[in-house]
Amino acid sequence: MMHRMLLVVLLTTILGIISGCTSFETTDNTPAPAAVVVMPTTPDPSAPQTIVSPPAALPSVVTLPPAPALVPPASTPNNPATPTATLLVAVDAAIAAGELERAAALCERALRISPRDAYLWYRLASIHMQQQRYADAEGVARRALSFARSDAQLSQSINNLLQQAQAALTR
Amino acid sequence: MPNRNPHATPSPKTKSRWWPILGPLLLWSTILGSVWCVWIDFKIRADFKALQWALPARIYARPVELYAGAHLGDEDLTNILQRLGYRQTTSVAGPGEYQVTQSRVRLRTRGFEFWDGQETSVYTEVDFSGRHISALRGEQNVDDLALVRLEPVEIAQVNPTTGEDRLPVTLDDVPSALVQAVISVEDQRFYSHYGLDPIGILRALWSNVRAGGVVQGGSTLTQQLVKNLYLTQDRTLLRKLEEAVMAVALEIHFSKDEILTGYLNEVFLGQDGNRAIHGFALAAEHYFGRPLKELKLDELAVLAALPRGASYYNPLRYPERAIERRNVVLARMLAQEYISDQQYEQAHKAKLEVSARPLKRERGSGYPAFMEMVYADLARDYDSKALRTEGLRIFTTLDVGMQSAMEAVLNKSVAAVARIPDADKHLEAAVVITDASTGEVRALAGSRQAGYTGFNRALHASRPIGSLVKPAVYLTALESPNFHLATILADKPVTLTLEDGQLWKPDNYDNQTFGDVYLHDALERSLNLATVDLGMKVGLVEVANMLTRLGLKRSVLPYPSMLLGAVNMAPIEVAQMYQTLASNGFRSPLRSVEAVTTALGEPLARYGIETEQVVEPDAVFLLEYAMQGVFTRGTARTAANRLAYNMPLAGKTGTTNDSRDSWFAGYGDDLVGIVWLGHDDNSETGLTGATGALRVWTDIMTLADIQPRQTLPPENIVFDSVPLIPVRDTADRNCNATQSLPFRAKTMPDVDYSCEVTDSFFERIIDRFRNDVP
Repeated sequence: MMHRMLLVVLLTTILGIISGCTSFETTDNTPAPAAVVVMPTTPDPSAPQTIVSPPAALPSVVTLPPAPALVPPASTPNNPATPTATLLVAVDAAIAAGELERAAALCERALRISPRDAYLWYRLASIHMQQQRYADAEGVARRALSFARSDAQLSQSINNLLQQAQAALTR
Repeated sequence: MPNRNPHATPSPKTKSRWWPILGPLLLWSTILGSVWCVWIDFKIRADFKALQWALPARIYARPVELYAGAHLGDEDLTNILQRLGYRQTTSVAGPGEYQVTQSRVRLRTRGFEFWDGQETSVYTEVDFSGRHISALRGEQNVDDLALVRLEPVEIAQVNPTTGEDRLPVTLDDVPSALVQAVISVEDQRFYSHYGLDPIGILRALWSNVRAGGVVQGGSTLTQQLVKNLYLTQDRTLLRKLEEAVMAVALEIHFSKDEILTGYLNEVFLGQDGNRAIHGFALAAEHYFGRPLKELKLDELAVLAALPRGASYYNPLRYPERAIERRNVVLARMLAQEYISDQQYEQAHKAKLEVSARPLKRERGSGYPAFMEMVYADLARDYDSKALRTEGLRIFTTLDVGMQSAMEAVLNKSVAAVARIPDADKHLEAAVVITDASTGEVRALAGSRQAGYTGFNRALHASRPIGSLVKPAVYLTALESPNFHLATILADKPVTLTLEDGQLWKPDNYDNQTFGDVYLHDALERSLNLATVDLGMKVGLVEVANMLTRLGLKRSVLPYPSMLLGAVNMAPIEVAQMYQTLASNGFRSPLRSVEAVTTALGEPLARYGIETEQVVEPDAVFLLEYAMQGVFTRGTARTAANRLAYNMPLAGKTGTTNDSRDSWFAGYGDDLVGIVWLGHDDNSETGLTGATGALRVWTDIMTLADIQPRQTLPPENIVFDSVPLIPVRDTADRNCNATQSLPFRAKTMPDVDYSCEVTDSFFERIIDRFRNDVP
């Protein structure tokens, strides 16, 4: 009981002292108000709060980086969107934005859905070429070729890519 | 004490005598007090400004993707939704809710920040046909929705050494009802006081005097924040004084919103094993299994009661107390006009529905075997401090549905095949399941016991692999132009002189010999003597090289005994080897981690698919013909009936000397599975690969519904007929009974030997288009 009474008395004195404390500020970059801040009896929100900037280190204060959301292509009943088509639109968008690693991730996500899709493997190989990861591009392109089979045009594209990759590797 | 007589009035003389001592004392104490104040002020300001909580790394399973054709049944989906804490309702209103009607599931996802972009919250209706999704629809039954990704299940976390766990949120993410509830019970004048609340203290004091003890604290939220930040249970006067100074200092330098945010994230709200639950966002997940945003008024009131006594009002343990206190909170909110009578009535009557999940198993140590692999993979790029403090999000390849299916059957299945009673000797097991195309590890068991934290046999039990090595021998042969599936091997006793001069006399498993056999037949039936015959012809060094090409990292000494599996491997190494076979000769390193992001979802690292062609597709195709034959004609044919809907599949049994190890390695179109059974003391099990591991493999893979192989013959492959009975002399060949086998166009059997009616090259090219693909 005594403690609490004493506390109340002490606290009122502390308030006065604290107001003095703020005048000792030397570490803060923000210029302190010209006059010494005197703690008013009723809180004045304008004066003390301008002294410091908000704690930048608080992780929750930082806003999320804008990450482009998936935009599924407009689908009609005749031409229903497939998951890989949807993802390829996102792959294109990521490449256009220069985010090659994200494009590769999206391509791989599509490959998890259609692991035998030669075109998806080919796209992944092309992304690796752009990333100048020629050895990775070669391995992926060979896999593309192993699924391309009857598609002569795609096989031709893959073979071209393979030649470029090998040329870059021997350089 | 200077004044011994309390009744004596101090004389002027006494006063002047004490003043020279009292004066400087007062002066010095003022100076010291001021310096102390400056120090405290400095400290709290610096600490709060630099407040960066050590955040545990959160580890997620592979997210489930919904799309038409996805291999996922309605039960698989609802299981995942329950794991994610979705609420089953009769009408889906908000994120995190789902509804089940016959074979349709309606749900609204929550959205999630993935490493490859943000997944927004969407409403979708999913139709099923058997264990597949037949259709996916968006809003209003009109638009076809192509692809929806659910949030990933959190499978583990790496806790900071403090044991504190929290999910920091901004004030915008906190429902205002929670803020109102907290303020109304903890600090009614929060927005008007300046750190200390003398009125509150007096009221608390009065209540305490009336009650004759401490029943109510007068601490403001600011004071409570300070108390939580410095974590001392000290109740000395000096301590209280220090807290009071700090509280006032905080109020001077920071806004009410900043202090409130700090409080809502910092406050201790419960204990879960050795993990301390801090902050309301984590408390929502801990007690209700759902995000804070999805909680209703009555649930928020339960949480608002917790700062007063997290253990005492724990809704998981003391639901009555929690409800009683919740109603006090609601009554205060009503009294302070934060809620209406109607809201009060509704919330007041609500039933307490806490999280039913076994939290500990799922969050802390759910999958120790798999997690060991994750830690090993992460250790290459991240030290343990980063994992314990930076709140990293780690996306793994674990398929929780697959892992659960495996765990559901493994222990029983192992017990069912054991020859020696469990009581005498505990038959142990290890399982590795990977994605057949990408090398991602989908499920892992280091013991037959789910959740076992001891010796991880899947990663570390290095055992002879027996006949599992044979595909490497046959593949080496099939790669060369000198061998094909109809090459005749001699399955007859052989004696070899080893490097050390000793003689080696291998036997077949059943000590029989079969004479002349076709190459494919020798692999399908796992004939040791024929394999030694073949291996010595193709060369031991070549076979050892093949193991390396397939992905084995350790070096293998090219001794003849290697041909029959005197090569030690852990199940995970076997998985790597068979992975290369399953992806048609493309080696992809096994991976357990897919990506790492910061706490805010910014990508840090990604571990994508790597692939390298290490064997020609033709040779792998021919090998697979024989490995599919293992199921149809060979050592695994006993499983063919149970796997009728999953065939064709490819695989190989393995048994080691005195049946110490029972292995099976098999793959379908989507999965590779490796099962090992054995005793930890390396004693006999009485099991072959077929009677032990194959049966366990079949139990797991029928539940996982492994998909049939769809291996199409590469361009160079043609089919040809050869006599059913192998004879070396072509004159003796009997073409009345033939079998059709695939060959490389360049490596056909002798024209004399073939049983094709016409032997023209043109006819053989035509054969390429025949449909009888194995």
